[in-house]
Amino acid sequence: MTATAISTTALTKRYGATQALNELSLSVPAGEIFGLLGHNGAGKTTIVTILTTLMEPSSGTAAISGHDIATAANQVRRTIGYLPENVQFYDNLTLVENLLFFAHLSGVHAPTGRIREVLGFLDFTGHDNQRMGTFSKGMRQRAGIAQAILHQPSVLFLDEPTSGLDPQGVAKLREIIISLNTQLGMTIFMNTHLLAEVTKTCTSIGILSAGTLIYQASMAATLESFPGQESLEDIYLHIEAGQRS
Amino acid sequence: MTRWSAVIVQELLCTVRERLPQLLLAVFVGMIAASAFIGSSARSSVTGVYQEALRQGLTTVANPFDSLSPLYYARNTVIYIVLIGALLAIVIGVRSTLRDRQARTADLILSRDVNLSFYLGSKLAGLALFVLLVLAVSAMINIGCISIVAGHVLSVGDSARIAALYALAGLFMLPFVALGMITGIRSSSATSALLTPIVIWSVVIFILPLLGTAAHPVSLLNPVSAPPASGNGFFAATSSLVDPLSLGEQFKHVAALMLADPQATGTMAGSIMALAVFAVAVCTAVAMTGRKRMRRMLHD
Repeated sequence: MTATAISTTALTKRYGATQALNELSLSVPAGEIFGLLGHNGAGKTTIVTILTTLMEPSSGTAAISGHDIATAANQVRRTIGYLPENVQFYDNLTLVENLLFFAHLSGVHAPTGRIREVLGFLDFTGHDNQRMGTFSKGMRQRAGIAQAILHQPSVLFLDEPTSGLDPQGVAKLREIIISLNTQLGMTIFMNTHLLAEVTKTCTSIGILSAGTLIYQASMAATLESFPGQESLEDIYLHIEAGQRS
Repeated sequence: MTRWSAVIVQELLCTVRERLPQLLLAVFVGMIAASAFIGSSARSSVTGVYQEALRQGLTTVANPFDSLSPLYYARNTVIYIVLIGALLAIVIGVRSTLRDRQARTADLILSRDVNLSFYLGSKLAGLALFVLLVLAVSAMINIGCISIVAGHVLSVGDSARIAALYALAGLFMLPFVALGMITGIRSSSATSALLTPIVIWSVVIFILPLLGTAAHPVSLLNPVSAPPASGNGFFAATSSLVDPLSLGEQFKHVAALMLADPQATGTMAGSIMALAVFAVAVCTAVAMTGRKRMRRMLHD
């Protein structure tokens, strides 16, 4: 039986009168690349922010690898890696200085060797002593992935990882995400708008609409279940339209 | 390297490499270096006037400047610490916490198993180390320049008094670093993060002493603390309330005693206590910052 990497039960988040998440119950088995889809304001970032222990839910529970986010937050933090959308890093520090800082914060042993190993894995060498203020968006994203996996987390959260990347950058990031899953065995939870990328990358998907999870299934089952639809985009629009009606 | 020393190193590197602190640092150290020569120039001018008065037979008393200690040349540095040093402290404090919010690295830090109080405490320790290094270099420059102006190497006693002045400057500047960190965390915009502590600084340096002493505003730029309000009335009443909070005057009072200023009277204990209480209060406030504050979005 496959272990559960991420689970939520009736997870709810309210910002004043606005309901961002509405009793969301979700289960992601270990080893998946799970893509959470939804329009702007659907609550995708809210759920990632709660699961990474950065924000408390209004009600409901959630657990990462069996650790409750409320009662065992520090264990959750040791278990996860996180790349927020549009992270900038410390522009005046070099790539290695930034990564050393985050490696020490994560309690990584022999951080210099580990950084070399991670940068090699990401095929991101030759920029060690370059200040991050000079990095392109794609380079920052790879640095972001590097900081997120330095401490060898079992679950990785990526919030809009392909946002703002050129096609080459998107393809490279896809390759990295799949490698992290297949070679290092990480469970990956990603929010994204690029449905074509989800098709190529994710093994399962969920669709969030106005804070409610309206669909969850494996990618294979999804593509099989909607034979009349040509692409994931068509399927997504079909499910969303069905929910609205 | 432990995680806390890593934060200290990171803080030092980021601070040293930022433009605004670099600029203020250059002005501060430059003015410290120039202060002895400015003092020497002022002394030459007054001595010239004295020589002219002596030549015209207008006075027969000895030149009072001849009996002054070389520590006289360090007096202007007190004002540079109150003005430029405090601003430098505010800027590095604000930039320290604002940096995490602007670069969104706060999320990367808070999603790790990191105690926020220890993290902010380590940042504060890094900035305190930066301030102490700056002050140590400034003290050496100051001692060197005074030795040049005085025409002889300063005695161990005088050098120790100048070193003590810079140690006191550390105690004076530290709460402004912490104040900057707090506004960097709590302000809704980068602009207000920088302006708020500057307003607070102007209150404790200029406004409170005026309320407590009725001193002329320009006299607050004098390195000797303003005298207490005389007589009864409004200023006598406010004096006891605002004196302990007039941090610039407290610093100037202790500094004047350290530099053996003949105009300075009283003891150091009360003023040092006032500075220490302010430092402890503001540093404690930094350590008590909540996680939500660190993640607030900036509006500019």
